[in-house]
Amino acid sequence: MLIQLKGGRVIDPVHNRDGVGDVFIENGRIVGKPEGRTPDEVHDVTGKIVMAGAIDVHSHIAGTNVTLGRQLMPELPLLAAEGGQPIVPSPATLGSYATGIRYAEMGYTTVIEPAMIPTHAIEAQTELAAIPIIDTAGLVILGNDDYTLELLRGGRVKSDELKDYVAWTLSHSKAIGLKVINAGGSEAFKFNARTFDLDEEVPDYGVTSRGIVDAMQKAVADLGVPHPPHVHCNNLGIAGNVETAVATLEATQGLPIHFAHIQFYGYGDEGEKGFSSGAARLMEAVNKHKNATVDVGQVMFGQTITVSGDILRQFDGRRAASPKKWALNQGDGNGTGVVPYHYKSKSFVNAMQWAIGLEIFLLAEDPWRVLFSTDHPNGALFVRYPEIMHLLMDKNERARWLDGVPEAARQYSNLAEITRELTLSELAVITRGAPAKLLGLTDRGHLGAGAIADVAVYTEQKNKTKMFSAADLVFKSGNLVVRKGKVVRVTWGRCYHVEPGFDAQIEKRVKAYYDRYFGVDPSWFGVTDAITHRPDRFATIPCTS
Amino acid sequence: MDSTLERAAELLARARFPLFGGLFTDIDGATAALALAEKLGGVIDHAASSGHLRATRVMRETGATPASYGEVRNRADTIVVIGNSPLARDPELLAKLFPGKPGLPRPGKNKRELMLLGLDKPSASKIPKGVPTTAINGKDSLPELVALLAAATREGRFDIRDKALRKALDAAGERLRESAFAVFVYDPAELDEPVLHTVLEIVRHLVKTTRAATFSLAAPGNGDGVNLCSTWTCGLPVRTSFARKVPENNLWAYETGRLLKSGEADALVWIDALEGEPAERPKNAPTIVLTSKPARAGRGDIVIQVGCAGEDHDAALYLPPIAGIGMVKAAKPNKDNPTVAEVLNRIAELIDAKSAAAKSTADKSTGTKGLGKKGAA
Repeated sequence: MLIQLKGGRVIDPVHNRDGVGDVFIENGRIVGKPEGRTPDEVHDVTGKIVMAGAIDVHSHIAGTNVTLGRQLMPELPLLAAEGGQPIVPSPATLGSYATGIRYAEMGYTTVIEPAMIPTHAIEAQTELAAIPIIDTAGLVILGNDDYTLELLRGGRVKSDELKDYVAWTLSHSKAIGLKVINAGGSEAFKFNARTFDLDEEVPDYGVTSRGIVDAMQKAVADLGVPHPPHVHCNNLGIAGNVETAVATLEATQGLPIHFAHIQFYGYGDEGEKGFSSGAARLMEAVNKHKNATVDVGQVMFGQTITVSGDILRQFDGRRAASPKKWALNQGDGNGTGVVPYHYKSKSFVNAMQWAIGLEIFLLAEDPWRVLFSTDHPNGALFVRYPEIMHLLMDKNERARWLDGVPEAARQYSNLAEITRELTLSELAVITRGAPAKLLGLTDRGHLGAGAIADVAVYTEQKNKTKMFSAADLVFKSGNLVVRKGKVVRVTWGRCYHVEPGFDAQIEKRVKAYYDRYFGVDPSWFGVTDAITHRPDRFATIPCTS
Repeated sequence: MDSTLERAAELLARARFPLFGGLFTDIDGATAALALAEKLGGVIDHAASSGHLRATRVMRETGATPASYGEVRNRADTIVVIGNSPLARDPELLAKLFPGKPGLPRPGKNKRELMLLGLDKPSASKIPKGVPTTAINGKDSLPELVALLAAATREGRFDIRDKALRKALDAAGERLRESAFAVFVYDPAELDEPVLHTVLEIVRHLVKTTRAATFSLAAPGNGDGVNLCSTWTCGLPVRTSFARKVPENNLWAYETGRLLKSGEADALVWIDALEGEPAERPKNAPTIVLTSKPARAGRGDIVIQVGCAGEDHDAALYLPPIAGIGMVKAAKPNKDNPTVAEVLNRIAELIDAKSAAAKSTADKSTGTKGLGKKGAA
């Protein structure tokens, strides 16, 4: 069936396209204008904006950590709704099913879960498979596990075995990429460290955080995995940590790397409160290091919960828990901490976090390297995305919000001076084109012929919150799934992953290792097609070597 | 088979408040039960989750500090076993937690030690060779002993006449404070909520200066797996009702025995399809039974034989050694019987078909826009 989206303003920065025109869909793909054929279905989208479906590169939507948060705080959607957030007040709202529905309504068609625990990949993948409509993929966590650290012991890197181990882990969990969270810091926490810096050594193992990240970068690059290591740095959330972020950036030696939720590292320690915006300093470094990409991790005011494999940081964060409860899962490898948190517009620090995130977006010279995220749910629930898009695209809206934050936050941030407003095309870059490119999902994020027909149509309006809250039409793989902001058809997406090759020796080694220390056979936690009953659930994306 | 399923579908379509109980099943089975309960506005419970649910409630109130099996086995220097149940349920537990060969690098220089708190016959436990062990016991009840240990750990004031116990408690408190990683092992089924709180508070006191955690025995019948699945599906553990628009969890109101006794639940789907001890089935309730075991059929029962998860077919189940959900290969693959998920999904289809047929008849005869949610006249 040939579908025509007729007469909309088509915004596709991948093809430098921004103008009125048509988009054609056939057999789940975008096709060029077919000469001499009458479309079977025509949607008149005159006056509307047509973009590729949006892609979220970092959103905690599945797996042990997320479900630990659900267990700790089923009342989160109720509290959030009570505080005026646009969310249905039911514990089910942050369940798998509702997650897919709400993402689709906003025009999102692919979302990446960024923190699968290797031994819990089956749960993560089962949860992802329970999310309707959107395509998904997972990043698997290494870098605080004993196996990796043994290979890096004392800084003597057994790089071939590490490469094989990384490849085996990616394949075994069906992940699209590697996540490194506070490299070495979670392991140090097991030895009762309460802080951990880039050049500190992990107790007993004698390897530094810098050494771990460096080795992982090389391993991933050697394997030709399209998505570079996805790194959560040390010292998250601490005043003055912009220096850690800059040092980490400088340490990257030109190899590709992605830094997650960089807003949480944009903190200076100047001024009488010892807390200031480090956004300018950070973005100077980001702008300079062209091998690096970042996602922002924007903060929005309101109730949320923080969910993180940075157990050291979460343990420290327990003191600020609101409501006053917290869970710490001291698991294998990283472990997890979940701590409820309420960002308040009247709090100087929270207002600074909010402003710093926006500064980062707006100071980016190259939107292809500064991607949209809230680190859902850590900075804000993903239902807040439309409000953030509004703030980025409308300086008057920012001014209105700035009026509501403490005077000191206006003083120690630079947001008020920034007049830049992101264009629709730039928004399409940071929510479509750039995430697709970064993930190696070249079949989406754009509207070129051959792309998967993931398309979102919005009514252009001044109020961008309204505009992006409810897409007029959303097509997922060519199926019309959303009309006037409501799901009209529930489909099931695919999960993308890589299968880098490895020396079969690693399987024997890993098996012996798990047997000895855990009494476990790795096949117990290996993800196979059998975890869902949909034969085409998993799709492999190629590695380049 | 389909005629049996037709009867089951009919019974469920008529029910006002169907209860899905037992739930000794794999993740697929739990997923299907949750979907059907949601469709019918029913309720779900699990037959061996009482303790687990109490622990979940404690968690919702104040939090939790679990450690994985691997961390306890490899890195804990002090393991405190609380009560009789852990070693009664798993006589090999101590052998697993003290494997007798060097584990992963662990903090501190302490030799690994074991404490047994409030065991009736600590000497009967299979204690691995060479593990220094202290039994802390007395005439006091288990909750009292836990509270006393909490006081001793905090160096708080407490008065007891039993001098030997006093000495043991003081020594235990000191050891815990000096431990690099102390872990408290218990079965939540044996502890009431205030005791669970007390254990958590000991941990929270210790972690101000050192590390500590809890290690909870998994519930029988894949209780942890079913509860995780329920949580990611609807945000809540079992004992959740889908009768209203927003799912509602209540440990007392939606307990199987109470729902049947009060008559609130008017149909029961009993699911028992795992190896091991059968789920304790309530008496005198007309029931749709999905079982992998020899079943006694009462009057009005509809019995459906299903495959045994992990025996007859591959199954995702909660596996304590990975502290998460893993895949268990079928021990003796056998496709004679369908899985729980297949049966429940088929019943859901039959109910949908019935509902569609009823709707089309009603539309034709009265011109109204269909019937209520359940579609049955």
